[in-house]
Amino acid sequence: MKRYDLIIVGAGPAGLSAAVEAARRGLAVVVFDENEKPGGQLFKQIHKFFGSKEHRAKIRGFNIGAQLLDEADKAGVEVRLNATVIGLYQDKEIVVKTGEKICHYKGDAVLIATGAAENMVTFPGWTLPGVIGAGAAQTMMNLHGVRPGKRVLMLGSGNVGLVVSFQLLQCGCEVVALVDAAPRVGGYGVHASKVARTGVPFYLSHTIVAAEGEECVTGVTIAEVDSNFAFITGTEKHFDVDTICLAVGLSPMSQLLKMAGCQMEDNPKRGGQTPICDALGMTSVAGIFAAGDVSGIEEASSAMIEGRMAGIAVAHYLGYMDLQERDRELSALNGALDGLRQGMFAPKNRGQVIEKTEEGIAVSASLLKKGFVADDEIERFPGVTHRTGVHPVIECTQNIPCNPCQDTCPKRCISIGSNITSLPIAVADADCINCGMCVASCSGQAIFLVDEDCGDGTATVTIPYEFLPLPAEGTMGVALGRDGKRVCEAAVVSVKSAKAYDKTHLLTMRVPKAFAMKARFFRCEEA
Amino acid sequence: MSKTAEVIVIGGGIIGCAVSYYLAKKGVSVLCLEGSDHIGNGGSSRNGGGVRQSGRDPRELPLVMYGIRHFWKTLSEELETDCEYHQDGNLRLGKTEKHREILTGLTERAVKVGLDVRMIDGDEVRRINPYLSEEVTCASWCPTDGHANPLTTTLGYYKTARKLGARFITGEHVVELKKIKGVLRKVVCASGNVYEGETVVLAAGYASRKIAETVGIDIPMQSAMLEALVTEAQPQMFDQMLGTAEADFYGHQTKHGSFVFGGSSGLEDFTKDNGTPVCYAKTAPCICRGIIKYFPNLADAKIVRTWAGWMDKCADGVPVLGKVGEVPGLVLACGFTGHGFGIAPAAAHQLAELITTGRTDVDLHDLRYDRFHAKI
Amino acid sequence: MNTVNDRSRELAPFVPSPDDDMLICRCEEITKGEIRKAVHEGMWTMTEIRRYLRTGMGLCQGQTCAKLVKAIVARELGVSPAELEPATSRAPMRPIEMRIFANEANEAKEGQDDE
Repeated sequence: MKRYDLIIVGAGPAGLSAAVEAARRGLAVVVFDENEKPGGQLFKQIHKFFGSKEHRAKIRGFNIGAQLLDEADKAGVEVRLNATVIGLYQDKEIVVKTGEKICHYKGDAVLIATGAAENMVTFPGWTLPGVIGAGAAQTMMNLHGVRPGKRVLMLGSGNVGLVVSFQLLQCGCEVVALVDAAPRVGGYGVHASKVARTGVPFYLSHTIVAAEGEECVTGVTIAEVDSNFAFITGTEKHFDVDTICLAVGLSPMSQLLKMAGCQMEDNPKRGGQTPICDALGMTSVAGIFAAGDVSGIEEASSAMIEGRMAGIAVAHYLGYMDLQERDRELSALNGALDGLRQGMFAPKNRGQVIEKTEEGIAVSASLLKKGFVADDEIERFPGVTHRTGVHPVIECTQNIPCNPCQDTCPKRCISIGSNITSLPIAVADADCINCGMCVASCSGQAIFLVDEDCGDGTATVTIPYEFLPLPAEGTMGVALGRDGKRVCEAAVVSVKSAKAYDKTHLLTMRVPKAFAMKARFFRCEEA
Repeated sequence: MSKTAEVIVIGGGIIGCAVSYYLAKKGVSVLCLEGSDHIGNGGSSRNGGGVRQSGRDPRELPLVMYGIRHFWKTLSEELETDCEYHQDGNLRLGKTEKHREILTGLTERAVKVGLDVRMIDGDEVRRINPYLSEEVTCASWCPTDGHANPLTTTLGYYKTARKLGARFITGEHVVELKKIKGVLRKVVCASGNVYEGETVVLAAGYASRKIAETVGIDIPMQSAMLEALVTEAQPQMFDQMLGTAEADFYGHQTKHGSFVFGGSSGLEDFTKDNGTPVCYAKTAPCICRGIIKYFPNLADAKIVRTWAGWMDKCADGVPVLGKVGEVPGLVLACGFTGHGFGIAPAAAHQLAELITTGRTDVDLHDLRYDRFHAKI
Repeated sequence: MNTVNDRSRELAPFVPSPDDDMLICRCEEITKGEIRKAVHEGMWTMTEIRRYLRTGMGLCQGQTCAKLVKAIVARELGVSPAELEPATSRAPMRPIEMRIFANEANEAKEGQDDE
């Protein structure tokens, strides 16, 4: 039987990262993936990632995928696509279907990096065509260029629901509502804000009563729920939609591990059935490892680090690396992983209500309830200051592990400091040169360049803009507030595009100066 | 919670559930202990669903014939559960002269006991089942055989017994039997719980051997792992139960439309496991190759699941049933050797009769515990 | 796991619910009401529910409905879903045609096969 040092199942961020590390150290590695393309979910991620440089922050997911593939290629990793793993049998034997045949392989070590599958929720009509998972919507839009629907209701305010809502808007859908049964927005506030400011209403403490339609979805009714998640009568709201998109969490696809007899636990904090692993990612069955979402739902960034750690752990396990080297490498990666697991959204804080930032500032109640920071709340955050001339206004109000804005400003106008989760501060005496790098670098699209008083009664506001077609200079339209409501007329002064901005365009609009701190989005429409 | 009952049943498989049912129906208080977390977790849920008389040893044939006459036809109604029983015959298929010899021998022995079974040629086989390949040249044909759904039948017995007041406790792993003043009374569990009854029915499959050992009873059996698989639903094709002279596969099409096939790789007596019955990577492909030779047009049917199960393989291939003289109070019901499903209603019913009246309608003498002797 | 579980424990009585006819397992077309009723008939584990009703036995192998079924069963039993062990995972992980499953190729490298 053909044998490898390491067999990896799943060519996503975790699997590929592990393969790279192991192959670089001389292991014979094969990666099987049932899909026709490698990269797992990375190639569906068109948004810029959070984190620091070591986490490849501000790079779009699909570009990270391309980098990873390139690394795997250079390291000599054998990636077998359209290769469906049928089972993981005793003695680390793997049966793989490729084409019209099956093959048996054995690995001295096996790494399961199969990722996760989407959860579903039920409501009358949930089986109608038109009810789709957020992941399916991403596949349609970002891999196949297909618009999932025209009018969409999104259920779920976690990062997936927020990010996919924005992508739906980008591909021309109307998102009629973003709904979540929880009383608070689950994902990053900055992701919520970029959706809210386009005019999408948030309905927290609401969920779907029923989907309507005979052959397919034609409408949906939502209603408010009480603290026991029971509907409150009289609060029903109806929307005409053709698509209901569900972003209600992920579950680890851990079936192979269970089949192999690995000890499992049902851990709600990890998203469901996960293997019980030691510190190096090895399961209860010697030589079988797990990394990425299959061992607990997190982000692609952490999956990549976990994958690297698993690759290194396997290299040592099979005698390709000594203990000192392993521990040195692992400790650096552990540091990187810890960095990602900091802040308000850290795994340890899941399910907790956080009322104050690390700086002691009250968090925005409006952000958690409606998806945007209210005008009377925004001023208390350290990124929001007033000064003469163009200056950055950083509307980043939650402690998340992300710092590209600090690194990208050539004039050091923005400071986060050494603690990556600290709120960015607008540095008082720094000299902004209006280069726009901060606006484009912010993965949360939370930085604006504002000139509050141009001297003629107007102000200019530069916003990150990722919609097509780009409005021409001089276009008249309306400025929308953080809440997505019309605040005033606005004229497009310029739309700047640059390679360094990586497809985030910088739209500068002119508004009456009274609205400088209110206007945060531009819509091309008759005033 | 009371830990006493007139009868303690060890094993929540189809035998244990059915004995509990027939006893509860007679008003006997029953407590059934299942070692795993699930009712029907052993062979009862893992077998191919055959309700067969043909191909059986003459010693157990009268019992299964009794079961088919008295229980199977009305079982769904009785258990308020769709047991999916079909009495559309069993074809045991042969391809070679050697197969014909095996089948003819089995047939002649069964006819002597009074079973309606006969040898037919390949053309007649294909008149009964037109999907069979030309490779099939003969078969034994028993029109009163059939198949049923072992999962719902087992759980149906459990459900109805429970409704009649039989108590079931799962996750209660029996480790020891204890005599009090010369009579078996106590059942000790790993949890520390001790149950007490006037009669103890031991129906725990292969695990019965370890348990019986604690009162000095040794049942000559081994465990062997068998495998089975199921396809996605297919258009309705046929209703017979199928087997082969070579025993390379057996199975049927279910009400759901899927085909359930059991089979072997030939390595069964020498496989290992990880504590639970696990499939061998080699076995399912082998079963598939076997099936395709008989049913070429199932080649594109998709397999959705494979599984393994242990059978309690008795030294002489038939079960050990009934009271044990050396241990008053003990009733054995184990060693069914992989064909315990079809015979379960009759076996369980007769044991319930034995416990309550001391008599049985079918003579169980050939299946008694002390039948095993050295060869010379 | 093996936890002692007395199946005679009284559950709250079965009360029909307006959404009992909602499909939960799409592959096998099993409704919420059927699942709830099965619990009251004594099917207290995911494995028993699956064997009794066929939930999660279809083409998707429970990928979609396993968590949904679990939540319903847990609610009827009055326990947390995390306390219910999911049904066993079985090969093949994806449905596979019999002729392909039957077609085993040997990919051993030359000289690597045992003589």
